[in-house]
Amino acid sequence: MNIRPEILTVLLAAGAVSFFCRAAGFFLMRYVPITPRLEAALRATPLAVMVGICAPVMARGNPAELAALGVVVIATKLTGNDVVGALAGVAAVAGLRAFFG
Amino acid sequence: MAVGVFAYGIAFGLLAQEARLSLAEAATMSALVYSGTAQLATVSALGTGAATATLAIALAVLLLNARYLLYSAALRPWLGSLPARQTYPTLFFMGDGSWVLSMQAHARGERDGGFVFGASIATFLPWILGTLAGLVSAGLIANPAALGLDFMLVAFSAAMGLGMFKLQRSWSGVIAAAATALVVDRFAPGGWTIVAAGLVGGLVAYLRFKPTSAA
Repeated sequence: MNIRPEILTVLLAAGAVSFFCRAAGFFLMRYVPITPRLEAALRATPLAVMVGICAPVMARGNPAELAALGVVVIATKLTGNDVVGALAGVAAVAGLRAFFG
Repeated sequence: MAVGVFAYGIAFGLLAQEARLSLAEAATMSALVYSGTAQLATVSALGTGAATATLAIALAVLLLNARYLLYSAALRPWLGSLPARQTYPTLFFMGDGSWVLSMQAHARGERDGGFVFGASIATFLPWILGTLAGLVSAGLIANPAALGLDFMLVAFSAAMGLGMFKLQRSWSGVIAAAATALVVDRFAPGGWTIVAAGLVGGLVAYLRFKPTSAA
């Protein structure tokens, strides 16, 4: 139930960065107007990060994982809910791995 | 929305258990970081063991949460007149859901800054409770790895990425980010892949920006 020192370092760093992101935009708007160009870059970043997470997995070409990604796409489109879509993908990969061994 | 956040929190709790985080560590992370994708990325990096660079994790969190810069900037006209001791705690609890709710309310004419705080707390609490519920229930499962929990971050990224792509329709950014990720993954897998992809995606959007296409 305790917190290990090396984990605490990571927690504090990640927490500080998160709060920085939440506060800095608000703070900066006082002095620097965010240009539409900068805004477009900021808006595009999360999608690029998510692509960066998925691309190496797709390149690895594990059949169970590729099929599960397909399930994520279909389930998200059908339900219109990304949490449902993601959990369907996790369930799919678990089932496929159990099946293929 | 609170139900969705709760379910997401459970998912994070399950993964945290698999990464051998204690209840206190997982709950502290959910409270301090309070960002699903950033926490999944952090836990995945921790789960790979070895000496994962804190710097790489912090940079990945920075890029995953860069959208909050935009969110909080957009709240300036609304909350700018309030004292800092009220606005900054409110911003600490701001999430994707509460920000969207707040901007909708503001468009309807809502001007009470307390709305942002209330909406944010209403999604923050299910997140913490979901984390605890997920971590506790994971202890009851014999082999969490067999359930595909290592796939959680990828699955959530794919699902949320679909929604974001629908709004942006930026093939150039996606292709550039994917290419970058594949190259970096060969030399420095893990957190740096994500950081590089995020930076390149942002850069492409910056360079390709056309003033006429601004919404």
